[in-house]
Amino acid sequence: MTAVTAVTDHTDHADQPGDDDARKKDPGGEIVRKERSGREAGHKEKGDSGRGAREATEAGSGGGTGSGSGSADSVGSADAVGSADAPGGWDDGLIARRVSATAEGQARPVQETVMDNRPPAVAPLAYDGPLRSRLDALRELVGLSRTRLDSRTLAEAGQVLDEAAARRRLSGQHTVVAIAGATGSGKSQLFNALAGVAISETGVRRPTTAAPIACSWSDGAAGLIDRLGIPGRLRRRPLQSAEAEAQLRGLVLVDLPDHDSAAVQHREHVDRILALVDAVIWVVDPEKYADAVLHERYLRPMAGHAEVTFVVLNQVDRLPRDAADQVLDDLRRLLDEDGIALGEYGEPGATVLALSALTGDGIGELREVLGHFVAERGAAARRISADVDAAAVRLWPVYANRRQAGLSEEARDEFADRLADAVGATAAGEAAERAWRRNANRACGTPWLRLWRWYQDRREPATGRLSVRAYDDEEATARQRVEQAVRTVAEQASDGLPAPWAQAVREAAVRGSQGLCEALDELAVRAGTPVGRPPRPGWWPAAVLAQAAMTVLQVVGGLWLLAQIIGLMSPNLGVPVLLMVIGIVGGPGVEWACRLAANGPARRYGAEAERRLREAASGCGRARVLDPVAGELLRYREVREQFLRVSGVTGGTGVTGVTGVTGVTGVGASAG
Amino acid sequence: MVTLDVRPQLLDALSALRDRVAAARFPLPLAGAPRARANRDELLAQLDDYLVPRLREPEAPLLAVIGGSTGAGKSTLVNSLVGRRVSEAGVLRPTTRTPVLVCHPEDHHWFSGMRVLPDLTRVWMPQQDVDDDPLLPGEEDMRVLRIETADTLPRGLALLDAPDIDSLVAGNRVLAAELMCAADIWVMVTTAARYADAVPWHLLRTAKDHDATLVTVLDRVPHQVVSEVSRQFGALLAKAGLGDVPRFTVPELPESAWGGGLLPATAVAPLRAWLAQQAQDPGARHQVMARTAYGALDSLKSRMPELASAAAAQYAAALRLTAAVDGAYDSEYTRLRGRLQAGAVLAGGALKRWRSYPLDSSAGELLDALVESLAALLLCAVTAADERVDEAWRREPAAGAPGLTDRDPTLESAEHRIGMAVRRWRRVLEEYAEDEVRALEKSVAPDPEAVAALVATALLGGRRARSAGEGLAERIGAHGALRLRDKGGRLLTDYLDKALHDERERRLAPLDALDVHPEPQAELIAALSVLQKER
Repeated sequence: MTAVTAVTDHTDHADQPGDDDARKKDPGGEIVRKERSGREAGHKEKGDSGRGAREATEAGSGGGTGSGSGSADSVGSADAVGSADAPGGWDDGLIARRVSATAEGQARPVQETVMDNRPPAVAPLAYDGPLRSRLDALRELVGLSRTRLDSRTLAEAGQVLDEAAARRRLSGQHTVVAIAGATGSGKSQLFNALAGVAISETGVRRPTTAAPIACSWSDGAAGLIDRLGIPGRLRRRPLQSAEAEAQLRGLVLVDLPDHDSAAVQHREHVDRILALVDAVIWVVDPEKYADAVLHERYLRPMAGHAEVTFVVLNQVDRLPRDAADQVLDDLRRLLDEDGIALGEYGEPGATVLALSALTGDGIGELREVLGHFVAERGAAARRISADVDAAAVRLWPVYANRRQAGLSEEARDEFADRLADAVGATAAGEAAERAWRRNANRACGTPWLRLWRWYQDRREPATGRLSVRAYDDEEATARQRVEQAVRTVAEQASDGLPAPWAQAVREAAVRGSQGLCEALDELAVRAGTPVGRPPRPGWWPAAVLAQAAMTVLQVVGGLWLLAQIIGLMSPNLGVPVLLMVIGIVGGPGVEWACRLAANGPARRYGAEAERRLREAASGCGRARVLDPVAGELLRYREVREQFLRVSGVTGGTGVTGVTGVTGVTGVGASAG
Repeated sequence: MVTLDVRPQLLDALSALRDRVAAARFPLPLAGAPRARANRDELLAQLDDYLVPRLREPEAPLLAVIGGSTGAGKSTLVNSLVGRRVSEAGVLRPTTRTPVLVCHPEDHHWFSGMRVLPDLTRVWMPQQDVDDDPLLPGEEDMRVLRIETADTLPRGLALLDAPDIDSLVAGNRVLAAELMCAADIWVMVTTAARYADAVPWHLLRTAKDHDATLVTVLDRVPHQVVSEVSRQFGALLAKAGLGDVPRFTVPELPESAWGGGLLPATAVAPLRAWLAQQAQDPGARHQVMARTAYGALDSLKSRMPELASAAAAQYAAALRLTAAVDGAYDSEYTRLRGRLQAGAVLAGGALKRWRSYPLDSSAGELLDALVESLAALLLCAVTAADERVDEAWRREPAAGAPGLTDRDPTLESAEHRIGMAVRRWRRVLEEYAEDEVRALEKSVAPDPEAVAALVATALLGGRRARSAGEGLAERIGAHGALRLRDKGGRLLTDYLDKALHDERERRLAPLDALDVHPEPQAELIAALSVLQKER
């Protein structure tokens, strides 16, 4: 048993003046520059068979002893350290990492990928029909949305398009698989085990691998590796053996640096390359498989990429047999909680394996799975497809409406009503009706009543009639009502739309409403004032004649009686009294009958006046406000259809694939 | 050598400061708010769990908190130090969910009370609880601390096995941070595979910032690479300015890791001896305590201003929000006055009624139309102001606070409220008109409703209703008309002001309810300066 090595070395720690600076920097990045003299004993079991290759690696340090430190790549890290932690939010000086810092990563809805019915792609790399159409739709979507959304929102979609195009130009024969994981998990060991050669340096110093290394099993992958930005001196070939070559033909394996050490530059490498490779093997070990960084930073955001994800529990040789199963189950549970579909029972999803790169336990199985995976040659397309899915999910809030959007018929009617109110159509109609009736009454009324009314008018100050003149220059339309009407209709039209499009609809409405008031003013003058005298019904002369006859009867009866009283005529009370009574009763009778008869035409006249004004107003409103709004909604519908295509749901057949997305039916052509 | 003597003034100043910190609130979702909240919680935890109890009772046992990443072997280390299994160790991560405190039986009374870590419920029946804890979701809110006693530990020393600092379980992280805050001695455990991980290094740097007494343990080192890894780690520590921190190395042994067994006593003997020496040697003990306590006190110097500036930022944001509301309503009010002067109310339906008055429409209808039009004008002003506020608030991150912007159903009631106000105005105006008419000594009294309608038209119609004033003067005399118009105008102004003011207050109410004041900033700084003086 090893004796305890309690090292309590109090090195001469001079009080550094730049302590604060040193604190900000990451020690990990700098320490790799230190010259190490000893050669790691570690778990390195492969001999020096890859020596020549390694010498190339160590060109920077000039050492052929195998103890190189890859300094060429790590020098820059010290500079990049200070600020690079910010996006992750783990370098804020707090002891505790709060939930909120990572909450946005978890809230994202998980979307099922739609790709089962797609035939495997054939070489050279060509995307199959559905994926191609989705990419086209995405391109169109980005183009259509550029004026409405800020470029930051569209940046990810643009990047997906760029990467898809870039990948498409390159070899379809190859599948690029990256090995990622925490420091000390044994990425490089697994890499070496798969390659059969000690290509990548392994060791106990943490972190070990500082720069990505690529290994290609067949020729023609140079373009792919160029795309990853891996320089020529870091490219290797596996151990030449016919059997291994046949199995993994077309594989390009990339060994990544760690993602969790204090060396920030490593994390940048990882983040950059993970976005470019076709598939990822995540290497975890029993000690670190539950690290928050791994799950929150990488696995959860990439949950949609389950089909191109392998999760490998390394170092099972350090665990007792049953404990290994336990840990593997726990790992599966964690992955499930991350939202990663597990490829069990033949379902598409992530592959989870336990192995030991040290003892070679389980390597064969991984090799086999990897061989099948590579032979399918579908990984690149699946990855792009998953990227498109992720972009669609990310864009979901700016395209999907919560409920049926569009202008309902009621909203249009309400708008017309409000505009009619603003120009006072109802009041104008009523006024016209009453004026007509008044005229009729005046014409058909008994002369005595007219006399009395004339007297009344003279007694009362004639306020109203004074103002009747000279109001052409006034603002006849109620501005506030127009403003409110436009606001309401814009609100109704944009209700349920995602924010940018709702804004666009509102802007369209407001833009259209400029000058609407003036137009309505003009229109009220044109359509509101009746032309000339109100028309009279055909029975009018008859009524006037009858009223006159009644008056004549009264007068004749009265004169007759008068003549009898004077004695000019023989006394005969019967006939003149009868005449007078007929005249006296008949006069109001005729007037009453006329009033009854005038009701209909008066109402029609008033309604006609109201209708004219109302129609003119609503026509004006439709042309200026509703049509632009409907146009804007139409544009939104177009974009939405593209979005549905991007989401993998075909526009016509239904929208069940994406949760919460409902169809747009009410968006619409203006009601003619 | 620093001494640690208890002075009541210092304690008073510290409690005052603690109350100020506890009172600080950061309700607005500004960029720095989550951090300020976390800072405040941590500061509070440190004051409550460590600084105040430590200064009050310097003779209490030293508390060494074992912290580190998940899977670093903290529980195994504690078990080995104690000599028996007190804390559950295992292969599944995270293992320790309930913190365990181990102390000598005679020290038990120090920890059984609520002297330190008052937020945690004490549990003495460990086994059941450990099993139940993950199963019962209801118990997750109740945080517990298991207390174990072991006479293998020296007196005056207590060990606390904390949950991991980088766990997937967010609650664990928070709890671990809180526990670290309560420590006299921070024992940082890392492993050969982890010593370069970013997360533990943040903790180390925090420990350095607080100038806490710190020990690092490099656990699980395969014996082949002991010297190599140890040297690496030492170099990293020296680079970070922590070169004088005592380092202990524990090798990886078959029984250590995955079975949860105990390490042989020899493996942890140096660490154990060091801890025992700190606890038993009065000088060393004093130094340890004084260093951590004064480190914490010193760290207040930078942390309090940070809190204060966060509080100031909150207040500034609240001011900006209020100013946006005030600006919007003020400008809408000005516009409203202008429109009223211009006679915008006498338009549309009201204008039509007025033109046909008195021949074709009654005074009541005219009055109705005017009141309706006035209500529309007011509602328009209020909605426009709200729209402006929304627009301005959309650019303010602080406006995302819950309850500030989601007020959809109130639009209807705004219409309702304005309608009520305007109708009330009409009623009072009609009463005025009646009074005026009743006071008139005319044989034929004019219709009060007509008088009211004419007054309303004259008030609301602006220039285009000049004839209404003339008509009014004809009916009730020039003096009466003038008087009535003055009274009605004042009434109108009152009612408009009140209506708009009410709406503005209604808009600001949720913001006022958040209670963001300028005082916390000054109070925090003042409390700090009092504390500085007392030291």
